Amino acid sequence: MRQHQSILEYQSGRYLWLSLGLCALAIGAYVWHEPPTVGLSPYGGTWLGYTLGTVGAVLILWLMLLGVRKRRYRSSMGSVQGWTSAHVYLGASLVVIVSLHSAFEFGWNVHTLAYVLMLLVIASGIFGVYAYLHFPELMTKNLSDETLEAVLLKIADLDRKCRTIALDLPDEVNLVVMKASRAKARSAQIGSSLRRQLAGEAVRCPTRDACDALLRLGAKLTGEQAVLNGQLLTAMTRKSLLIDRMRRDLCLRARLRVWLLMHVPLSFALVAALIAHVVSVFYYW
Amino acid sequence: METLVTYVSINQRGQAQREQRRVAGALLILGRGTQCQIHLPDPRVALNHARITVTEAGAAIEAEPARVVVNGREVGGARLSVGDRIEIGPYIVQVEAPPAGLPLALAVQLSGSLTSKGSEFFRRVRLRAPQISKRRLSYLAFFGVLLLFLAAPMSPDLLKGTALPLTDSRPGMWEEMIRTLGTSFAQTWNPGPVSRSHQVFGKDCRACHQFPFIQVRDLACIACHKTIKEHVPPVELTGAHGIAFLETRCAECHLDHKGKQMTPRAQEQCAQCHRDVKSAAPKARSENVTDFASDHPRFRLSLLDADRPGVVRRVRQGDAASGEMVERSNLKFNHALHLDPAGVRDPKGVRDAAGMRDARGHRKVLTCASCHEPEEGGRLMAPVSMERHCRQCHSLAFEPTVTLRQVPHGSEKEVATMLREFYARLVLGDAPPDVKPPRELPRMRPGAVLGYEDRQRALQIADQKAQRVLRELFETRGVCSTCHHVTGGSGAGWEVAPVLMARVWMPGALFTHAKHSAQSCTTCHDVRGSSDARDIAMPGIAKCRECHVGARAVLGTVTSDCATCHKFHAGRNYWHGAVQAQMLPRGAK
Repeated sequence: MRQHQSILEYQSGRYLWLSLGLCALAIGAYVWHEPPTVGLSPYGGTWLGYTLGTVGAVLILWLMLLGVRKRRYRSSMGSVQGWTSAHVYLGASLVVIVSLHSAFEFGWNVHTLAYVLMLLVIASGIFGVYAYLHFPELMTKNLSDETLEAVLLKIADLDRKCRTIALDLPDEVNLVVMKASRAKARSAQIGSSLRRQLAGEAVRCPTRDACDALLRLGAKLTGEQAVLNGQLLTAMTRKSLLIDRMRRDLCLRARLRVWLLMHVPLSFALVAALIAHVVSVFYYW
Repeated sequence: METLVTYVSINQRGQAQREQRRVAGALLILGRGTQCQIHLPDPRVALNHARITVTEAGAAIEAEPARVVVNGREVGGARLSVGDRIEIGPYIVQVEAPPAGLPLALAVQLSGSLTSKGSEFFRRVRLRAPQISKRRLSYLAFFGVLLLFLAAPMSPDLLKGTALPLTDSRPGMWEEMIRTLGTSFAQTWNPGPVSRSHQVFGKDCRACHQFPFIQVRDLACIACHKTIKEHVPPVELTGAHGIAFLETRCAECHLDHKGKQMTPRAQEQCAQCHRDVKSAAPKARSENVTDFASDHPRFRLSLLDADRPGVVRRVRQGDAASGEMVERSNLKFNHALHLDPAGVRDPKGVRDAAGMRDARGHRKVLTCASCHEPEEGGRLMAPVSMERHCRQCHSLAFEPTVTLRQVPHGSEKEVATMLREFYARLVLGDAPPDVKPPRELPRMRPGAVLGYEDRQRALQIADQKAQRVLRELFETRGVCSTCHHVTGGSGAGWEVAPVLMARVWMPGALFTHAKHSAQSCTTCHDVRGSSDARDIAMPGIAKCRECHVGARAVLGTVTSDCATCHKFHAGRNYWHGAVQAQMLPRGAK
């Protein structure tokens, strides 16, 4: 047995086939079904429309239950991996089922709002699948066999080393090093806002600035100081490289998390819109 | 081969403590992995960071792809000699002088604290990671949407009858505000534009949707559509389809919120009963049908007999064996004669519209449109009128040498009365200026005073003259009998057989002549060879099928479902009569 199996390959794609079957069934019924009133396009109020709507609503409520199931560690109701696989495939099949339920009738109303919210939830979910399948590999590659903690400790060590070396160098060099160090301590060089973390780049990285400055200042130094400055530059460059790796790790971590910030609240908005949709349809029947 | 490894640690009093171990083997692996011979537990150290190969000749360190610092220089590998200082992460490995018999001795020492400064920094980085609560966002989204799109549209109904705060200070203001807001938000529930005729209701959903969670009821429709007729009397319906038909609401066929029109074209629904119509309505007289193209029965014509007024003969085309396919209108008319391409004789040489005579002089070419004019609205043809169409040629002049006056058309009695009065006036010496009195009539001397007997005699003469003229009209000259059957004689008076002509031959069909104006008349009604007025020139179903197919579209033809030609609400009674009676104002029909 393989060590790792992606949720997409769970039980050789059992839920993929289930979803495809569901979609094919829905499309077939839609094509075969003729609305009772000739000359009108199909709509949500025919028997097929109600059926597709019910299937869609039940699916949405069940998909929401993944959030409950994954927190029930002692539950034996299927594995979380199976649930997630079904969640992904059945969730994607909603695009077909609910589009057919809507019969492609859209307007500025609560019904289309529910539809659009559903599409947004599915889109964020698809990004989530991509993120979960893609980013961990990049993160492992980025940190090789180190942990973020190890990288941070190494940065701290290099920082200490830089400051030690800089003590024997002119004030301007020392200032550059201290500046980079303080900035590091404030974490300003690490993408601090969510937007910066997602972008993965600092507009001005103080350590990289310090490297440039050391290169420039080093040209004026001679003798022992030049050798020290060379060592300082090496350490600062290594620190800069480590910081880049750390920043990339944080960026990937943020991207790995951020879609859920959309996916979960939007899905709750979707359930609310779904309730409003169902009530409104039968309230003004 | 063995190596002496000394682990140096500093105790609480700051004294160095040395713990010695002997490690067997020619290869020593340094790393944080627990299987390493020299275990350096720290995250900065790689799992298998470096290898030291020990031989009789000496030892060498190798650290690919990681790197080690040997005597302050960062290298990938180096030969080791006594006194060398190797730095790996926070650890310092010192090469010491080995005791006798051993090739290598190493001292391992931790240079500083393991994680003190780093962990603080690490915590800061973690703290800077996004800390947005999914839970809070979810609550916000869920209840936000519910408030705007569920509670707000329902608010006018929910708050109906409840005492609202602040109502005493400004009575009605809050209700008004909530009602306005609620009505506006209720528009977000509208699934699509209502039909054009229903746009008059504006935002008043309750005009049709009278009660929450109850489907739109017929009562709401009938409130306006008071005179809508039922399809078939409910008492005549039986069977599953019949009962289902009875229970069908207006809105099941007439769907609104679908854009401009809401007239159903529900061939499939018609066919549910009309596939086997007797099973749903045993009294039905129509034949089974599902589609015009495939199984529509031949047309039935409604024929009239002038001699049996009030009786409508329904004769199906093609049932010629019955010999009933004639119209007994009591008229004489020869279509072939009138439509002679060379024209008809024009007694008065009537000029045409441009004031020019026909090239042949006294002949006039007639077309269908000379007599058959469409009715206003274009659906039916207007009845042919003696006054407007026939009289131009067929004059009713009774004595052309005396006067151009004509007898009235339509009543034998009026003809007789008119003639008696006319001649009496002449005999009594009161001839109008346009009349040249005939010589055979005795004339009174102007100013003569007549006695009773003279007057009686004069009137008798006038009556005799009138009688002669009547005989000429009805018998000898055949003025009336050109077109009519005339019976009787001078004794009891002449009688013209009553005339009755069908105006609508197929009353069940919604045929509109105007919509077929691209076709010529003779496409469907070819009467050019007909010399008998009893002939019928109604087209058969095959003629219609030349253009019209059924509900399934066929390229190059006209798609035609039931509703193309038939009206659904064509019954005699109002829709759901019992309900209707309550809805209608008193006295309304």
